[in-house]
Amino acid sequence: MTDERERLLVELRVFVEDNYLYLRPELQLQDTDHLLELGIIDSLGFVEIVDEVQTRYGVQVADVDITEQNFGSIAAIAEYVGRKRAQ
Amino acid sequence: MTPRALDAVLRGTAERSPDVIALCSGEHSVSFGELARAADGVAAGLRDLGVRRGDRVAMALPNGPEAVFVLYGALRAGAVVVPINPSIRAEKLEFILGHSDAAVLVTTPEHAAGVRDDLQAVVVGDEGAPPGVMGLAELMATDPLDDAGPIELDLAAIIYTSGSTGRPKGVTLTHANLAFVTGSIVEYLKLGPEDRVLSVLPLSFGYGLTQLLTCVHAGARLVLEPGLGYPGRIVELLVGEQITGMPGVPTIFRVLTSLPGLGDRRFEHLRFLTNAGAALPSTTAAGLRRCFPQARLYAMYGQTECTRVCYLPPEDFDRRPGSVGVAIPGTEVWVADEDGVEVVDGEVGELVVRGAHVMQGYWKDPVGTGLRLREGRWPWERAMHTGDLFRRDAGGYLHFVSRTDDIIKSRGEKVAPREIEEVLHGAPGVAEVAVVGVPDDLLGEAIEAHVAAMAGAMLDARQLRRHCAERLEGHLVPRCVVLHDELPKGVNGKIDRLALARRREDSRQ
Repeated sequence: MTDERERLLVELRVFVEDNYLYLRPELQLQDTDHLLELGIIDSLGFVEIVDEVQTRYGVQVADVDITEQNFGSIAAIAEYVGRKRAQ
Repeated sequence: MTPRALDAVLRGTAERSPDVIALCSGEHSVSFGELARAADGVAAGLRDLGVRRGDRVAMALPNGPEAVFVLYGALRAGAVVVPINPSIRAEKLEFILGHSDAAVLVTTPEHAAGVRDDLQAVVVGDEGAPPGVMGLAELMATDPLDDAGPIELDLAAIIYTSGSTGRPKGVTLTHANLAFVTGSIVEYLKLGPEDRVLSVLPLSFGYGLTQLLTCVHAGARLVLEPGLGYPGRIVELLVGEQITGMPGVPTIFRVLTSLPGLGDRRFEHLRFLTNAGAALPSTTAAGLRRCFPQARLYAMYGQTECTRVCYLPPEDFDRRPGSVGVAIPGTEVWVADEDGVEVVDGEVGELVVRGAHVMQGYWKDPVGTGLRLREGRWPWERAMHTGDLFRRDAGGYLHFVSRTDDIIKSRGEKVAPREIEEVLHGAPGVAEVAVVGVPDDLLGEAIEAHVAAMAGAMLDARQLRRHCAERLEGHLVPRCVVLHDELPKGVNGKIDRLALARRREDSRQ
């Protein structure tokens, strides 16, 4: 795993924890856990994460990119952002 | 023959167009013929379990083909469907099952684990049924039912809705109630066999249920999703499935219209959008106009107690801002004072609804029923008092003012929270607003605004008050603005004002 990927994972984890897990401090969220299925993030939350990702990493997210494959877990988002930045 | 019961409507469509696709959900496509056969299978299975006409069959399932099979199967068997949101908490589920005397619960493995012994559970799920519990596939594997179905006077559904007092109330609707309102909606939406409706609304919600009933009535295709989920999937479905209509509540439309790049797309098949559940803020309406310029926008208002009350014809949307229009076809409404006497146009009063869609009452609650259903134009009929305050303008168009129990009385003047909420929605960075009244020695009630910010936006309570002061009369400016990360919501996504009120009481103790 590259340093950049690791840094992305840490930053995204912090963002999700700060914004969505403050009411559920007991939850130990894994990078591959499903954000929607576990009820951590709802549709409005994805809009917020997309906004964060666009602002922070300067990537352009298309509406149809907001899917389980790209935004389903912290690992998926890191993977997606890494791929978009490499383009 | 005109179908009179809901299961007969399905059979009619299945006979006319057996091979036309009725339902798309996930990877599954189901034709009207297949849907009618599946319903027959479920009906026969329920009968084998001992379900008789009039028995209650509860269903707590996510949107999907199975939920539709169970719903029409129970109706075909003459049973009363009790649709329940699958995200329900165990205590509330237990209350509803007990209150409705449900004979069977069809649900997910998680909910099935906790049901009482005297209730027959049937489980739907990929993992199969737990030991000792019947799976839906097993239930359906029997010979089809050959007896006559229910008649229109039979009860079709009990839909539980949160009452202002806390305990859910069971709204009883007959086949005639639901078949009538279905036909009326199909008429004003001009729904036809060429339509494809995308619904993310739960079938346990009156607004979600009518999507299924209207599509089956019209022979249209319903594309059913278990929820809004990943917004990218919704965009793909709108384009890929060539969706012609989409119902929503303001939250859904706010998510869609904030997606990057959505405004650059062309949704050439989308011909209508409908809003209900809560008033559409003007900023969200503007977003819909920008993203879906060719779609006709219907502002509607309804209550579980009669499903739908009124709609604003799309051509009037710009001429009648904020209005929810006129009574749906075949019904009438009027605005009444506290004695039930009709008031003149322009005056505020309670909205009264008269039509074949009005419920039979609240299940096992004669007192609650008596408050809502009162003598109509004739001594033998019952008109429904909505408990909501409306005003009718000179052109005959209805304007929602407030729920009677949301009205704030401050400095002796009636204050409609909605007016203040609309102004706050216009402030930059505001995502959600609820305005409530708090007891105050001096004012009677003081106005308190609860606000949540959009992602990345920083809100300042003082600036928000200033924003209100610049746009509202002095007595309408909230005394304080409380900032939240997110406002509490009920299962249907509506802001839970009761929870806000409780939170206030908690903090004062």
